[in-house]
Parts: sequence; structure tokens; C-alpha cells
Amino acid sequence: MKKNTGFLLTAVAIGIVVMAFNYRSGNSAYGLTIGTPDVKSITSLAFGPEGILFIGDSKSATVFAVDTKDKTTVDKAAAIDLKGVDQKIASILGTTPDKITIQDMAVNPLSKKIYVAVQYSDGTPVLLTIEGEKIQAVSLKDVAFSSIALNNPPAEDAKDQRGRSLRVSTISDLAYADGNVMVSGLSNQEFSSTFRSMTFPFTNKQDAASLEIYHAAHGQYETASPIKTFTTATINNKKYLIASYTCTPLVLFPLDELKPGTHVKGRTVAEMGSGNQPLDMITMNTNGKSFLIMANSNRPVFRVNFKNIEAFQGSLSTPVEENFATEGVAFVNMPLTNVLQLDKMDDNRMVLLQRKANGSLDLWTTDNAQWLLQ
Amino acid sequence: MAIAVIICCYHKIRLCFTYNLIFFALLLFSGCTKKSSAINIIWVNERPSALAIPRDLPGDVTVSPENIIVRMESKNPVAMLGNYTFDDDHVIFEPLIPFTRGLRYEILVNGVIAGKVDIPEADAADSPLLLNIYPTQDTVPENLLKIYLHFSKPMREGVSAQHITVIKNNTDTLQGTFLDLQPELWNEDRTMLTLWLDPGRIKRDLIPNKISGTPLQNGNHYTLIIADRWTDTQGLSLTKPFKKEFTAATRDSESPDPKSWTLNKPVSPTDPLVVIFNSPLDYSLMMSTLLVHDGNTSIAGRWEPGAKEKSIKFIPGENWIAGNYTLRIETRLEDLAGNNINRLFDRTIKHAGDTVSAVEIISIPFTVTPQ
Repeated sequence: MKKNTGFLLTAVAIGIVVMAFNYRSGNSAYGLTIGTPDVKSITSLAFGPEGILFIGDSKSATVFAVDTKDKTTVDKAAAIDLKGVDQKIASILGTTPDKITIQDMAVNPLSKKIYVAVQYSDGTPVLLTIEGEKIQAVSLKDVAFSSIALNNPPAEDAKDQRGRSLRVSTISDLAYADGNVMVSGLSNQEFSSTFRSMTFPFTNKQDAASLEIYHAAHGQYETASPIKTFTTATINNKKYLIASYTCTPLVLFPLDELKPGTHVKGRTVAEMGSGNQPLDMITMNTNGKSFLIMANSNRPVFRVNFKNIEAFQGSLSTPVEENFATEGVAFVNMPLTNVLQLDKMDDNRMVLLQRKANGSLDLWTTDNAQWLLQ
Repeated sequence: MAIAVIICCYHKIRLCFTYNLIFFALLLFSGCTKKSSAINIIWVNERPSALAIPRDLPGDVTVSPENIIVRMESKNPVAMLGNYTFDDDHVIFEPLIPFTRGLRYEILVNGVIAGKVDIPEADAADSPLLLNIYPTQDTVPENLLKIYLHFSKPMREGVSAQHITVIKNNTDTLQGTFLDLQPELWNEDRTMLTLWLDPGRIKRDLIPNKISGTPLQNGNHYTLIIADRWTDTQGLSLTKPFKKEFTAATRDSESPDPKSWTLNKPVSPTDPLVVIFNSPLDYSLMMSTLLVHDGNTSIAGRWEPGAKEKSIKFIPGENWIAGNYTLRIETRLEDLAGNNINRLFDRTIKHAGDTVSAVEIISIPFTVTPQ
């Protein structure tokens, strides 16, 4: 019996050492610890430094930083042309395409692997990678991670009789730049825009700025305008947040003006038409040119040359002519329609999730369409 | 080949896969004494979440980590992604997502089909209902900003645009009335969806407003239809289509003004406090932004909306005690047009540097003298 007890104690001690090693083996540079993040939904994805993946979880109003350990640099990934990618993903998950939704995708800038967030019809989130033809699961079990909750409910945030908060902040977009994770949020209650910029590694401090804009032709009117999608860029040596709203004006905010508790008025540089929703936005730097590329719900993909944004010093404040559908900075309609998601694969290529005219949902890289960025 | 439908239990599960499954497995284990050779479905929170496959199948087939595949029956079947765990008696296969109701799955061992499992359809008696559509009144301002749909069960997300139709004057099916937001704006348990009428069309002088006008227009009749094809998270459809008829009235360009509200104070210790507004308010916000304080402490109780969201009732958890109280109102409270207490949704700028109030809470004192 004593022998057994001694063996047991030895085993427990070894276990503690192993656990301690595992704990330390989380990425201490970024304050990560080993565990299984309680991810309830995956609505936004963005990559940070060294293969760190940021997961925006709207259901729990939390951003998770997960070390994918996917850090091997690939200069040029193989071309992708996956026809019927929803069918392929559904089959490998054991269901039918109508039961899944592709929520977001992000390319790991190091490995060039495509990370795809999928949601099953019962709300179960799944994280996959796509590399060439290969679709694989990304396990979130026992990974190095950290997280930060976004809901900062006021002290008096009311709850219903069952004690749940009625107010939910949905993450509309997520990005990482220069050591900061930026998150735009929409409320299921009031019509408002919350924009948070948080340093990474996460601390308890959140810099939340409420952003305000004057819309085009709004010399007279002012309205709150929730951000749908955004990206960051340097224009005239100054760093900007470039945001698009639910009614598609393109707005610039100087990043250095986004201070905690401030109300920043953005500069509208373009309106992009009626009945349209911005879906995704990226910056491409290729062949010495910089472009803003924007996917839309009811328009082709837009391409805006940053030179035009640099040159546009005004802000739209004069009444819109009745017969003008768009206003402000010039942009190009690219011959790409029904693009639901897009990201930068490398300097010369984009990866697109596109519903083709024949109904097929295809994932493809623009290998043979480099003229799109010229 | 064994075909399993629903089998309630299996023996000697000592495997460790998920927290919930462990709990469920223990529950099953406690009620089982007989070893089963069937393939069993493991249910977690009413979802077919895993399969328990005996390691020894008929025909002297022994399942091992190397020789098993589970796949959906289809023309071009592929091995499903998921986790396999093993003990002496069973293989537990937990796919990345629950099995889909109404589909059939195949278990292959050494490349040969060793069993099939039909996942039963959910019980239609559990079908979801649409409990309420807010605002409940039948006349709304033409600049109405939000509509809430309140369901009895968590619903499938991301598909509302496919199931919601607005018909104008019983003839025209409208396009682009609501923003097709992804992700959609659901409450935490996915039973209430917030729909925004296109704010670009409501905001004065924005291009969408100039071209298409407001989504609703004064003097017109509208029918909102929620299709019965919309399913809940278990795959069950709504019991029937739901309709709401309403008429658009003039634009609402005034903020809610608590000073104009009427407080019907409790007379007996069990009476509710009734707050009567000067105009209908946003359902979700009115249920969230009001509190009754006794000094510096909020009083426990519940809020009930009044008819047509024109009033609200506070029923205290305990009887009123005579004394001074305060009704505290968060200024983010909005009316049907998105005007909050501090600012209009679509504010006219009168002067350079014109600002809005930054006050977050407005207090209305009242005294209770129960008889």
C-alpha cells in the first residue's frame, strides 16, 4: 500500500511539473496561457504577430487571441480554386451546405493558410484551415490563448427577470495594427457605434472611443453611424482608420485622435450608392500602388487608389445632386460581383469567396487576374 | 450491418472527450447494466453530439484508431472531421458539429460499411412560435428605425433576410426595407432579433434617402410577413407564417421627454408603479433603461410593458415601504424613430459648435405613502 501511495505521489508530482511546463509553454511574450477558450461563436477573424489569431466572438462579446503555432513563412502559397467550397466544407463536417454559414476568413500572413470561420445552423462554431485543396480543423483545445471581454455594461445595465443582460454588443469587424486590436461593435438595442482599440498583449485597460461622423450632404444634419467594416492605412504619412458604415459612406479617422472617451468626427471621403452594404475591406500594396478594396452586398467590388484619397482634401458637405448615385473620391468598379469575403493572400494576390453566376460558392486566388490590381 | 435509430444507453464508458459528454455518459452509465452491441447516439442538450460504437462489431470486426471512418451518406462521401476516443469496449466519435437531423451516417471499418445510423427528426411538437413583434401598435412613424421579433425558441441566425417580407398596400413587395446585417443582432439566447430599417434611407439627404426615400411612407399600409420556413436551432420550422399589419404616420422628430411622463404611484404596498409615456418607446430599451432606487440602492422587481409600449409597470419584489424613491432613466432610451432622450436620430445642426447633452441618467423623485 505504501509503495502504491509513493507511486501515486510521484505521479502527481510529475503531473504538476508537466502542467507547470505546459502553463509556461503558453506564449509568455503575449501573455498567453494554456487552456481551452470558451468560444461561443466566431464572427470575425484577424491575424496579429507571429501566427496569433484574433477571434471575435459576438455571442460572448469577447475577443480571443490564440497562438496557432502556424509560423512557418511561405513566400508564395499555391493557387486556390475550390469550386463549391460550401459543399466541400459541409461534406467534411457531415451536413448539407444549407446548414452552414461561412462567417469570416483570414489569411495567415506568414504561412498563407486561409482560416475560415463556419457556423452550423444550431450555432456551433467551427474553425478550419484551407491550404490548396486540403480542409482541416483547427482545434482550440489546450492552446495558448488570452481573451478580453468587450461588454462594459454600465453599472445600471438592467436585466430581465431571469437575470440576463438584454444588451448585446455584436462585433461587426476586427483588425490588428501596430500592437493594437481594434474592434467595431453594434448594439442590439440603441443605434450606436462603439469602437475599441486595445493594446495587445491584452491588459485590463480598454480605449473605447465613440465615433461620430457627418454624412455626405450633411451640412445640416448629424447622425450616429455604426461601423460595418474597416481597415487601417497610412495616407500622407499619417495613420488612418478607414471605415465604412451601414449605408456605405467611406470615412477617415486619424488613428492618433482615437482617444479614450473622445467623440471623433470622421471625414467622409466618398458615398457609394444606395441599397448597398459594405461586407469586407482590405488594403493592397502592389506594383508601387496602394489600393483600398471593398466588397459590397449589392455592388461589384470597389477599388480606390489611395492617391485619390490623399488628393481629396475636402469633406462631403454640400447637397448631393439628385441624379448622382455616388459622390466624393473616385473609385473603380471591379469586374467582380457577389464577393462575400476577401483577404490579401500576398502583395499581388487576393483570395475571394464568391457566389458565381451558376450558384456555386467558390474560393479562389486571383493568380490569373493580376490586372485587377494594376 | 446494424442500423441504429435511437438507443438510450451503453456500457462502461470511461472515455474523456467533452465536459458535457462526460456528464451525460455518467448519467447513462448509472442506468445501464446490460452490454449493448448497437451503435448509439449520444445526446447532449438535445443535440445528437456523438456516436458510441462498440469495438467488437458482428463478424469478428474489431474497431481500432487506425481503421474507422464516419461519414455522411451521400453520392461523394468523405470522412468527417471529428475526434475519436477509445476504451476497451467503445469508440466514441464526436464530430466538429452535431449530426444533422434527418440524415444518415455510415461507419466504415477497414473500408467496409460496418453500420449505419439514422438521426431522427426533431419532434414537431417542439416547433418554435413567434411570440411578439415590436412595436405592437398598428400605427408607426414613417421614420420607424427598429422592429424586434421575439421567438419562443433560439432561432437559426444569419437567414432573416430570406424569411421576412414587407408588402405595401397589399400589392407591392418591398426590397431593401431592412439592413441585411451579418452577424445579425440577436439577444444572448437567440430568441429576439433586432431588425434595422435601412438607416441610410431614413437619414435626411443621404444618397439612399434621396434616391429611394424612407422605407415606410406616411399614409401607406404595410404587411410584415415572417415565413414559416424559418427554422430554430434544432431544425424545426415555425408553426405557421406570422403577419403584422400596420400603417405609417408622420415623421417623429421629437426626443422622449421624461418631464412629460405621468407616474401613477402605488397606493397599496403591493401596487405597481406605473409610468405613462407621452409617446410609444422602443420595447427593448424601455425594458432595460429604467430603475427604481431607494436612496442609492436599486429595488429588486420586474418591469412589464404596457399596451402599445406607451407605458411600463414596475412590480416590486417586496411590498413598498413608505418613503422617498427615484425613478432613474438612462438617456440612451429611444422612441420608435431612434431619437434618444439627449439627441435626435437625425439632428439638425443649428450653430457651429452646437453640442448635445452628455447626461447619462435622469432622475424623477416620487414618494410612496401606502395605505
